[in-house]
Amino acid sequence: MSTIKELYAYRQMIFSLVKKDLRGRYKGSVLGFLWTFINPLFQLIVYTIVFSKILPNNIPRYYLYLFVALIPWIFFSSSITVGAASIVGQKDLVKKIYFPRMVIPISYVTSCFVNMLLCFIVIFAVIIVTGAGINFLAVLTLPVIMIVEYVFALGMALLTSAITVYFRDLEHILGIVSMAWMYLTPVVYSKSIVPPRYLPIFNLNPMTHIIDCYRTVLYDRQIPDLTTLLWAAGLGVLFLLIGAVVFNKLQKHFAEEL
Amino acid sequence: MAENENVIEVKDVTKSFKVYLDKGSQLKERLLFRKRSRYEERKVLRGISFSVKKGEAIGLIGHNGCGKSTTLKLLTRIMYPDSGSIKMQGRVSSLIELGAGFHPDMSGRENIYTNAAIFGLNKKEIDSRIQSIIDFSELKDFIDNPVRTYSSGMYMRLAFSVAINVDADILLIDEILAVGDANFQSKCFNKLREIKSQGTTIVIVSHSLGQIEQICDRSIWIHEGLIKAEGPPKEIDLEYLDYMSRKIQDRNKKSEEADGTEEPAENKDGKRWGSGEARIKRIRSFASDGTEQSVFRVGEDIRLVVDYTVKKPVQDAVIGFGIFDMNGVQCYGTNTRIDKLPELTLTKDGTAEVIMKNVQLLSGEYMIDIAIEQGEGIPVDYYRQAYKIQMLSAYGDAGIARVDHTWNLQR
Repeated sequence: MSTIKELYAYRQMIFSLVKKDLRGRYKGSVLGFLWTFINPLFQLIVYTIVFSKILPNNIPRYYLYLFVALIPWIFFSSSITVGAASIVGQKDLVKKIYFPRMVIPISYVTSCFVNMLLCFIVIFAVIIVTGAGINFLAVLTLPVIMIVEYVFALGMALLTSAITVYFRDLEHILGIVSMAWMYLTPVVYSKSIVPPRYLPIFNLNPMTHIIDCYRTVLYDRQIPDLTTLLWAAGLGVLFLLIGAVVFNKLQKHFAEEL
Repeated sequence: MAENENVIEVKDVTKSFKVYLDKGSQLKERLLFRKRSRYEERKVLRGISFSVKKGEAIGLIGHNGCGKSTTLKLLTRIMYPDSGSIKMQGRVSSLIELGAGFHPDMSGRENIYTNAAIFGLNKKEIDSRIQSIIDFSELKDFIDNPVRTYSSGMYMRLAFSVAINVDADILLIDEILAVGDANFQSKCFNKLREIKSQGTTIVIVSHSLGQIEQICDRSIWIHEGLIKAEGPPKEIDLEYLDYMSRKIQDRNKKSEEADGTEEPAENKDGKRWGSGEARIKRIRSFASDGTEQSVFRVGEDIRLVVDYTVKKPVQDAVIGFGIFDMNGVQCYGTNTRIDKLPELTLTKDGTAEVIMKNVQLLSGEYMIDIAIEQGEGIPVDYYRQAYKIQMLSAYGDAGIARVDHTWNLQR
């Protein structure tokens, strides 16, 4: 509880770190902020070519089917991979000055989150331009889904950023893990083609439910199933709690380990 | 908050560090060389307790590695104690790492926001302070330029201005006032006094005992992880200096013993020349109470004793000495002729003694030349840098020697 109070007191620091990260990220590159959009767009193009031309499937408007899942996925995977290195990357601050350490992973995840929100502008643009149509009522549930994903991503980032301080290999391991995780989550394919005996594994994965919700809202234009959403929310909060507890325990020796 | 309340309470705090003999933090290293990641526990703090009242300023003193900086880091909560407790009340600001989080591409003004946010200020609080921060930093014309265009002095001024304008309840300072030019330093100093008078509690770690004496109400001397003494800075600092001088002497003695000879070295690297009819054999120095020592406090009496041997009688002999600082600047020099002593003839081994009263050389190391000459300056045994003394001072004044002075301020 006191942690939350303190984090609230340091909200300006979170703001300014997010701002610094967003502004500083593409500093000096010619296309600058446009990279925020170009990167996912090229990923989308590659996946679309692979999974509709080379490994064809029968999903209509596959590009949209993929796009509405890919953007949230990129937010999640960059949260855990970039987030993992966040404390180590700010070691000058951590070693020399006091502030609630959670500020760092929080601001990293938040800046990834802002990036995702910006990409959603493109998603909506694509939906409108291609005439796919929008269910406005369903879209109203979108913020809830986003918050659930944010909570889960933050929990994971707290966990990975704290452990990476003690165990630097994790940063690299996570590169592999996040790739495997993507293929174990129905991002590029539909959950319906998963063999039933593997389904329990998929159901334990909070990202399965989260991606499912995004797709229901934006692709199927329907209000997501409440149980799916609750599952995702429950798992997200659970991971956030685990992450926070572990982080609090490990952070006491950050300054010595860095 | 009551005036006499403790705002900092430190109880039985211990802290040890793991010193890895060969640390592997990668998986491969951890798995393959399990035995290698052995470490030694080094106890830095062995249980210290103290408390600080609101508005009080304390100085932590002690030699390098005694644990004073660790104590400060524990107070800032960068690190946590292994056992014991630390309680602090109010907002803490630290002048430990100035300019934390400065971004070179952002303007001075933007960096003020970033930096102040790290101290836990929100936007409204920063808005209300920004003018005084800019004023204090004297960077008015440059405040909207990127920080990378600043000189290091400007950078530090900006950083200091932010840290000191946080309006903290507790201010922690490590080795202050190496900031900017002399003008800005005295401005910082005055600001510190001002915020202290406004009720801010200050904890300073410094090697400059003078600074501590000027600001602090109390000194805490930490020695090998324990509090050795605590009290008014004037007393504690002297006690500390005495201890340090004894320690330096012990060390000097040891290295002398290790050398094996007390006989001054022969003409090594042109430091010694002369006809050799008489030779300087041994040089010692004593304090006024008769103890042999080579470390003195400013204002102490120094008795310099020179033993010499005579091979052939020296007529019309002159014995002299000169004191040089470590830059080779002569601070003082005289001889028996200048001092109009009766004519001297050295016929057998003897001792010459010079008593220097109330020596006002400022803190630092000094080399002493000793010379035996004949007539109008023919060297018999000229021995350059024959002896070294060290002066210690708890006072912050600067220069070569202290000039006796009083102030007379009329308003």
